[in-house]
Amino acid sequence: MISVSGLTKKYGDKVAVDDVSFTVATGRVTGFLGPNGAGKSTTMRMVLGLDRPTAGSVTVNGRRYRDSPAPLREVGALLEAKALHPGRSARDHLRWLAASNRIPTSRVDEVLELVGLEAVAGTRVGKFSLGMGQRLGIAVALLGDPPVVVLDEPVNGLDPEGIRWVRTLARQLATEGRTVFISSHLMSEMALTADHLVVIGRGRILADCSMREFIAEHAASYVKVRSPQRGQVADLLRGAGADVTPVDDELHVQGLDAAAVGELVGDKGLYLHELTLVRSSLEDAFMTLTSASVEYSARARTDQAGALR
Amino acid sequence: MTVTAESRTVELDPRRNVPGTRPGFSSTLRAEWIKFWSVRSTMWSTVMLFVLGAGLTALICATNAEWLASSEADESPGSFITFGLTFAQITAIVLGTLTVTSEYGTGMIRATLAATPRRGAVLAAKALVLTGTLFVAGTVTAFAGYFAGNFFLDREGIGLALSDDGVLRSMFGSGLYMTGLGLLAAGVGILVRHTAAALSMVLALVFVAGNMAFLLPGTWGEWVAKLMPGNAGSPVAVPVPFNPEALTPWTGFAAFGAEVLVLLVIGWMVFQRRDA
Ligand SMILES: Nc1ncnc2c1ncn2[C@@H]1O[C@H](COP(=O)(O)OP(=O)(O)OP(=O)(O)O)[C@@H](O)[C@H]1O
Ligand SMILES: [Mg+2]
Repeated sequence: MISVSGLTKKYGDKVAVDDVSFTVATGRVTGFLGPNGAGKSTTMRMVLGLDRPTAGSVTVNGRRYRDSPAPLREVGALLEAKALHPGRSARDHLRWLAASNRIPTSRVDEVLELVGLEAVAGTRVGKFSLGMGQRLGIAVALLGDPPVVVLDEPVNGLDPEGIRWVRTLARQLATEGRTVFISSHLMSEMALTADHLVVIGRGRILADCSMREFIAEHAASYVKVRSPQRGQVADLLRGAGADVTPVDDELHVQGLDAAAVGELVGDKGLYLHELTLVRSSLEDAFMTLTSASVEYSARARTDQAGALR
Repeated sequence: MTVTAESRTVELDPRRNVPGTRPGFSSTLRAEWIKFWSVRSTMWSTVMLFVLGAGLTALICATNAEWLASSEADESPGSFITFGLTFAQITAIVLGTLTVTSEYGTGMIRATLAATPRRGAVLAAKALVLTGTLFVAGTVTAFAGYFAGNFFLDREGIGLALSDDGVLRSMFGSGLYMTGLGLLAAGVGILVRHTAAALSMVLALVFVAGNMAFLLPGTWGEWVAKLMPGNAGSPVAVPVPFNPEALTPWTGFAAFGAEVLVLLVIGWMVFQRRDA
């Protein structure tokens, strides 16, 4: 389990992570979602004790990362920037990591096979493709057979087959009872992988809920209505308590389902040219959520407003 | 779209893999040793160190032996027997710089510190790997240069015995001075983090600024010159002093060692606090 509490990181004047608190529970995949520059990588670096928090704290399994006697056996991480020397072979890279935490050398070949790099184990990693580098990064994360796995944008640069592989792997690690924390800026990818979602925008937490809740709450749907008697229909539906927004020659209706709209309009003998249920995609929901946060945080700052949630 | 149900099928002991005690410093040292020798630049630099150090000494002795034996010679053979080591010192500086800056250049430092969060241990292990390698390489190279060069000097009857004043000291002194230079470069590497910047700073400090400092006026200037790292540290590595104004070999080396130590302590303090 990872517990983040009141975590803040400033780089000079720039607030990269702003008073963030959440927990990443065991036995499930937690997606860490946010647009570019939201503070995902910074948060993950602070989890690993690489960057020093300006305020707040992070613990992994109840203690600070740096207090673990053998951190690679407790937390496996894939970091954003390739943390590799191009002149070193994949096997040598894993060998020194294994040595540093007294991980048996036999484990090196195991993880190489697991990620499908055994054929190029002796090749210098500078010659690796983006996807191969990413696979090696995942091998590094799994080297110590850790109960907590932190992956910063693991599907970056992978082909569709590789993306599916990471997804399956993440699911499998969670089913084994591990804590899996994955960052991404693709909502659609997270929807397929994550059980739980932490959404971050401009360094602040915008949502912390189960994937199911997120979909129910944010993937808004509406009924699209077109009618030659637009004004009358709008009044009618508003009268029935619906939320009606005219868009071009359409009406977007929320609060009533398509059947109810059809019946109400039919009862009054009005005409309908179109009656459609429109679901906005999760990606749209995510965009709406994060773009709103930008406006809100800008306003909050000028108002000196406090808590956002 | 599928949403997977929360599955809590297995309870995994989060510490099941973790030993009760730290793997200890020897593990960090082993990791740094593997890291050091698993890039080609290390082997190349070490080979260059030997070839330049021993080869150039042999070459200069071979070409100058006759002149040195003649009556017009105004220099002692002792000044020639460690000649190539000056060039070998450059490769020692390169090695020392690279051990640190290559980690920053590639982002490796994050992997290193994630594996070993105790930064002091990482630094100590790096320093120890450099010390072991450079002391052995420097001393072996100095001896090789001595035996090769002395072969030519002997033929002219001006050979030096190992028991001659300062000769044996300069052999081990070469190893020591090279170690010091490597550590100095590593210390600068920690502070500036860029290979080219660190390298040019150390080379300029040791090989250029040191000589220029002798131009400074007054006793104040004289002491600055004596204490410049290259001027203080190098006498231990030569049988006869190049510069009569320089400190004596062991006094100079003590001063040089102290300077390196201070630099490493500063580097350590910065390294402890800095974001990786
Ligand atoms: N070392 C640093 N120095 C200064 N600013 C930084 C540093 N690291 C991150 N930042 C800034 O902090 C903010 C958050 O960056 P971060 O890399 O954590 O975002 P991210 O969510 O990982 O984005 P991405 O999806 O692009 O990877 C950005 O505005 C970034 O410019
Ligand atoms: Mg990032």
